[in-house]
Amino acid sequence: MGPGPGPGPFPGPAVRVPQRLSPKVLLIDPVRMLPSLLLPLVGVLFVGGFSARSYGYAAAGVIGAVVFAIIRWATFTYEIVGDRLETKRSLISRSVRTIPLERIRGVDVSTPPMHRLLGLTILKIDTGASGGEEEAKLAGVTPEEAERLKAVLLRRTAEPVPHAPGEAAPAAGPRERPIIAVPRRWLLYGPLSGAYLLTPFAFAGGLVGLAFQWGDELGFSRDTAWNAGEWLWEHPYLLLALAVLLVVAMPFAGGLMYAIFNWDFTLKRRDGYLVAERGLINRRSVSLESQRVRGYEIVDGLAERWAGVTRVWAIVTGLGDSETRGQLLPDVPRDVAFQVTGDAIGPYRGELRPHPPVARRRRLFRAVFPWLLTALLAAVAAALTGAVLWWVLLVLLLAMAGIGVPLGLDRYASLGHGYDGVRLSVRSGSLRRAQAVVERRAVVGWRLRQTWFQRQAGVLTLIAGVGAGKGGYSAIDVSLPQAVGFPTEVTPEWLTPFLEHDKP
Amino acid sequence: MTSNGPLRDPANRVSPKAVRLWLLESLIAFVFFAGISLLLSRWAGGWSWVPAWFARDPWLLPAAVVVATLPFLAAEPFVRYAVHRWELSGDVVYARSGFLTREWVFVPVSRIQTVDKGQGWFERMLGLATLEIRTASHAGSSTIKGLDYRVAAGLAEELAHRAEQLRDDAT
Repeated sequence: MGPGPGPGPFPGPAVRVPQRLSPKVLLIDPVRMLPSLLLPLVGVLFVGGFSARSYGYAAAGVIGAVVFAIIRWATFTYEIVGDRLETKRSLISRSVRTIPLERIRGVDVSTPPMHRLLGLTILKIDTGASGGEEEAKLAGVTPEEAERLKAVLLRRTAEPVPHAPGEAAPAAGPRERPIIAVPRRWLLYGPLSGAYLLTPFAFAGGLVGLAFQWGDELGFSRDTAWNAGEWLWEHPYLLLALAVLLVVAMPFAGGLMYAIFNWDFTLKRRDGYLVAERGLINRRSVSLESQRVRGYEIVDGLAERWAGVTRVWAIVTGLGDSETRGQLLPDVPRDVAFQVTGDAIGPYRGELRPHPPVARRRRLFRAVFPWLLTALLAAVAAALTGAVLWWVLLVLLLAMAGIGVPLGLDRYASLGHGYDGVRLSVRSGSLRRAQAVVERRAVVGWRLRQTWFQRQAGVLTLIAGVGAGKGGYSAIDVSLPQAVGFPTEVTPEWLTPFLEHDKP
Repeated sequence: MTSNGPLRDPANRVSPKAVRLWLLESLIAFVFFAGISLLLSRWAGGWSWVPAWFARDPWLLPAAVVVATLPFLAAEPFVRYAVHRWELSGDVVYARSGFLTREWVFVPVSRIQTVDKGQGWFERMLGLATLEIRTASHAGSSTIKGLDYRVAAGLAEELAHRAEQLRDDAT
């Protein structure tokens, strides 16, 4: 990764002159503005005909875009002053954004295709504030400058990470240590994740939309498109074949997208940060401050469990957009996932305790009853009208109710909670099963919830409030002794004052 | 009132005036539901697709709505007053709330980030306040409604003071 950070605490001399982005962004900005310019330009050309005047307008538009990009480039500067980063923008109104270095929680480096072509990267600075308001973005610096900035920006917060006992902890040795480089053959697990599965439909939809929008310019009119659609409608088998084709394409296209986004996924530790790098076209690297990582969430769907693979997300305080940024591992075999998360964050060594049998009844009821109820309505309608459609609907609904039985049982099997003295863990879900593992010290409060139905069944939902990730992780349908016993076990000092037997 | 199993009730009730607040809210909800259903029944008489028996007696709709909602709305203030309780001891806020769905919340003072007390219209009229105790997590945050204003102010003061002393940055 280029020249590593120097030996001293200050990897580079603190530069006092305000810096600009690389001038090469001038090649990128106008091109990126092109799509938004294109539509009005085409409009001008068509309305005004191909006269000298309309060419003039078009040229003016292009020149305007270039000039705007130049001014924007020239008026945007950034500078590290003491212990803060200042970005100044003085295009129309003057704005200075100051970010104290200690507030920086992570730096996200990504290289979209055009930036890669020109040897540039985009640096995003995450300050942990919610919303994009407090986030700084340097869209276009050289990789060397990105490395330098990263080293300077992250220096303040980078403290030695508490290493697990038995793990080699080189204090001053190589600062970067790979944790895992996911082999490319594991990309084959991608389609199982269910991610990007709708790609073919999105693609087809985009094509149809494009045909309607640009059909005129491409030489066939809107009527032609309509006629094509009608012709297709009159040949239902062709339409069916097309639909089947799209469905068949789902796993392939989904897998392809998955592979593009998760290409050469590597996770490494650097200077108190966990760094995840991935992507084929847009290579992005996300740095998560280890100190702020509070745990992780292990997610696997039905197909993934069948294949024995899981995905992992980190639970980090103050990480915006954690769904894409917090990803710690793509689909990898279970034992690898446990080993890597145990190494990178910390293992969960406890068991998961099952929830009471009432919970199984409730899961089954919820998975089956709504379908049965609607099936009953469909049956009544079928008996009254005798229409075939109702019978078809009835069979479908009964089938769904039948599927609900194993689904409900599996949902119950997923339920569990546990504590190993350092971390607590809760698990739930079936089609998307998620197990959260959270450090004890990350818990900021407890919440017990009991709906009217839960009260009849004598169960509660226990929610551990965590100042990271989703904010709360639930143990669904625990018994009353569990609901009070578990928080008491994890944080006895908080609960014991309120226990009944505590009274003299 | 409610069986808490091993948990005991929080020590303090909210202000008795809170019943009036909830009654007022119930009344508004009642007027709202009854008014909407009355209006609907007025219009529904003219619609063609409604069943004949309903078109004949459109007053059935508001009557049904009133019968269905009145017991709930009438009971809610008193049930809430019985359920809503709070306590601060051992540097932990313990609060219980709810009507059909009950909630018990434990928030240690050391994790509190902000303490807000707020007053709506009716609350100001009745001299009540709502205390919002926020931590870094919405699940670990607590809202205590229907406190006497002076109690809320005192509690907010105490919590803010204690939270500063105990500040624990682990979030």
